[in-house]
Amino acid sequence: MKFRKYFVTLMAAAMATGMLTGAVSAEEYSDDQIKDYTMFIAMPGSEKNDGNEVKEIIAHKIGGRVKEIWLTGQTDAEAVGTIIASGEYPEFINGGDAMAALYDADVLVAWDDYIDNYPNLKEMYTDKEWDMFRQEDGHIYWANVFGNTYGMSKATTHNDEAFWIQAKVLEWAGYPQIETLDEYFDVLEKYYEANPTLEDGTKVIPYTMLCEDWRYFCIENAPEFLAGYPNDGSVIVDKENMQIVDYNTIPIAETYFRKLNEEYSKGIIDIEFGTQTYDEYIAKLSTGAVLGMCDQWWDFAYTVNDVFKQQGLDIAGCNYVPLGLVAEKGQENRWHTYGDTLNNSSGVAITTSCDDVEAAFQFLNDLLDQEIHDLRFWGVEGVDYLVDENGLYYRTPEMRMQVADNEYKASHMCDYSYMPQWGGTSKDGINAMTPTEQTSEFFEGLAEPLVKCFEAYGAGNYPDMIHSVVEENAPWFPMYSFSNAMTTETEGGVAWTKMGEVKHEWLPKVVMSDDFDTTWAEYMEAYNATNPEAFLAEMQEELERRAAAAAE
Amino acid sequence: MAKSNKKQAITMKEIKRQKFLLIWSAVFVIYGIIFYYVPLGGWIMAFQHYKPKTGLLHSKFVGLDKFKFLFYDDVFLKVIRNTLAMGILTLVATFIMAIAFAILLNEVKSMFAKKAIQTISYLPHFLSWIIVCGILHDALSGSGIVNEVLVGLHILKTPINFFAHPGYFWPIVAFANVWKETGWNAIIYLAAITSIDPCLYEAASIDGGGRWAKIRHITLPGIRPTIMILLIMNIGNVLNTSFEIPYLLGNGLIKSVSDTIDIYVLTWGISQSDYSLGTAAGIFKSIVSIVLILIANSVAKRSGGERLF
Repeated sequence: MKFRKYFVTLMAAAMATGMLTGAVSAEEYSDDQIKDYTMFIAMPGSEKNDGNEVKEIIAHKIGGRVKEIWLTGQTDAEAVGTIIASGEYPEFINGGDAMAALYDADVLVAWDDYIDNYPNLKEMYTDKEWDMFRQEDGHIYWANVFGNTYGMSKATTHNDEAFWIQAKVLEWAGYPQIETLDEYFDVLEKYYEANPTLEDGTKVIPYTMLCEDWRYFCIENAPEFLAGYPNDGSVIVDKENMQIVDYNTIPIAETYFRKLNEEYSKGIIDIEFGTQTYDEYIAKLSTGAVLGMCDQWWDFAYTVNDVFKQQGLDIAGCNYVPLGLVAEKGQENRWHTYGDTLNNSSGVAITTSCDDVEAAFQFLNDLLDQEIHDLRFWGVEGVDYLVDENGLYYRTPEMRMQVADNEYKASHMCDYSYMPQWGGTSKDGINAMTPTEQTSEFFEGLAEPLVKCFEAYGAGNYPDMIHSVVEENAPWFPMYSFSNAMTTETEGGVAWTKMGEVKHEWLPKVVMSDDFDTTWAEYMEAYNATNPEAFLAEMQEELERRAAAAAE
Repeated sequence: MAKSNKKQAITMKEIKRQKFLLIWSAVFVIYGIIFYYVPLGGWIMAFQHYKPKTGLLHSKFVGLDKFKFLFYDDVFLKVIRNTLAMGILTLVATFIMAIAFAILLNEVKSMFAKKAIQTISYLPHFLSWIIVCGILHDALSGSGIVNEVLVGLHILKTPINFFAHPGYFWPIVAFANVWKETGWNAIIYLAAITSIDPCLYEAASIDGGGRWAKIRHITLPGIRPTIMILLIMNIGNVLNTSFEIPYLLGNGLIKSVSDTIDIYVLTWGISQSDYSLGTAAGIFKSIVSIVLILIANSVAKRSGGERLF
């Protein structure tokens, strides 16, 4: 067995190197030279099989191999807290919102002395951006791996939040203009009335919401977008007065929850919405029975779209299309973020348990090498993608189907998805860094109902469906990078924790209530008792600090 | 049991004679000191503003600040209520069910049926809570078997989401405990019942006592000491019974009834890394447990029955 596995690996590696054109040709590292690392990622994910083919190829090329351990059954804060309490750390860690706790525990290696020696890493951010990662003690301990565009942006997806709706519903309704919540639910209701079950008899769920742990943003933060503001996450920034506004208490929030309450009592909203876990939610979406929801693209699309493709549900029009809803018709919206978002509150870090820090940095650096980057996101040339005479990467329909298969993803593909990475244009100047952003790939891979839908709305891609205002991000954006990093050390941090607890309990309650007004009043009372002013004051201070820093 | 209670003088000879016993007990005393008493040193955290960076020795002392925070926190007061409510409900339900089950099982005359029922009924004890909670979660979900049956029988018009209503949570917890532990807990009572002198039952039959009379006047009094000792021990554990189920089955919507002291410790102590606050809450829990045991023990003492100490 062992021999066979080894043989297969070797064959795959040999095949890959044989076919690769250009820079690196021979294997540079032998089996006993390869360093093994572990990495904890405070997010649920799927484990790679031992001997994953691309992982082995990368290991032989750059001399490092990482075993990724994902979050299971706990919250990120709990998992990181447990790791800190145990005192045993993996070499790499991506602690999500709990990075501040790791910094407090003094277990991260400062990057300052190393960063200049690793050009690929250094390149990820400008000096000014790197400075934003500096903690109180003036050092950099982690770098966010997402939201970095190399060269020109090739974004074709709406990698942000939206109210989503299945393409088949829009087709059924004759592609109407949907701008407000009322119009949105109107379409869902009518479609549900006409089609209460799927063809196989599964009951259709017109609308569901996720309320679990930090993912409760799916129910919680829509008011900021409905009011037309960008994704500052925890607050609205009123630019004119440079004032922090709490979106939980604005009138639009009340209208939004009143609407949800109405729809719940009509039976349009899933009765399990308040208690379902993330896994259950994804499983539900994957059946194609859910017509719509409010969510971030990255929270569902990667998993759900692959299942749709495998099950042929994409051809049935189950894919979700984003809608940029607003409170009042004709109002502008900012659901889509056009520029890169720098979230300095989380990222990948190296811990003090790593005995060869330089090798670890070298590994991170090499992962950004274009050849390795292609292996991570495109796969093996000739197997997972082909190159045409102009150097453009493309996939055959069979290849697309194959890379959507979970089994194949576990045994063959290895993107190290929480390690440093680029979006945008490849360093070859022709391709996109990732297949999802390759324009030709995007259109080729698009199921027919989506193509029809985009055509009907005159949209070239997902963001076009949203019609968000195209503007540069404000220098303080996103404010959530500050609130995410809050700890209970400060009064505002304690308030922030308690506000979260109150909202977790009351938002679903408000939606399910038989008497909205009373429950809303009770919720507001409980909410105000958490001392949100302390939180808002600290946010205001940070806003002013960031604005001043940008003005310098 | 009935050894002489005369105090014996401890002589060298006596010590020599019991050499091996003493050495063995010393091993256990040392074990106890290392694993039960030394860790108590960590309690000092509750009076500090503990940071992993500064450690036990260099963290700042803050006196009773952490305890003050606890008792000014509405959530903590609710959490105490929930822990007690779930603990007591579970204790009463499992306790009564186990005794009733043991007595009923004892009345089964067919040896095969008795053994079969006993084996089947204690099997759930070996399932871990995560599995039991998984089963419950699926069975009670909106499209689960319970809802299907209730809707099918026209008892309900539309399915209800049991985990979305605070009122159902405590009974669900008690039910889960009863389902999982009844068979197992009954074993001890069954063993106690077998040790009752069969002559007593014969005598009762001759006096014309039926089954019911035998249960009331012989079986129950016969296992009374066992009941008392187990009751006292379980009362000490009342606060410990409520971590797994609330943790696995709780959700944001019913937090106000499902969160317990242990979950509070986890949230603040581990997730928010306020180890001091977590420790303070843990100390409070231990103290309450000790007080509960003392009360139970003294009640048992006063009523003249069996007791722990």
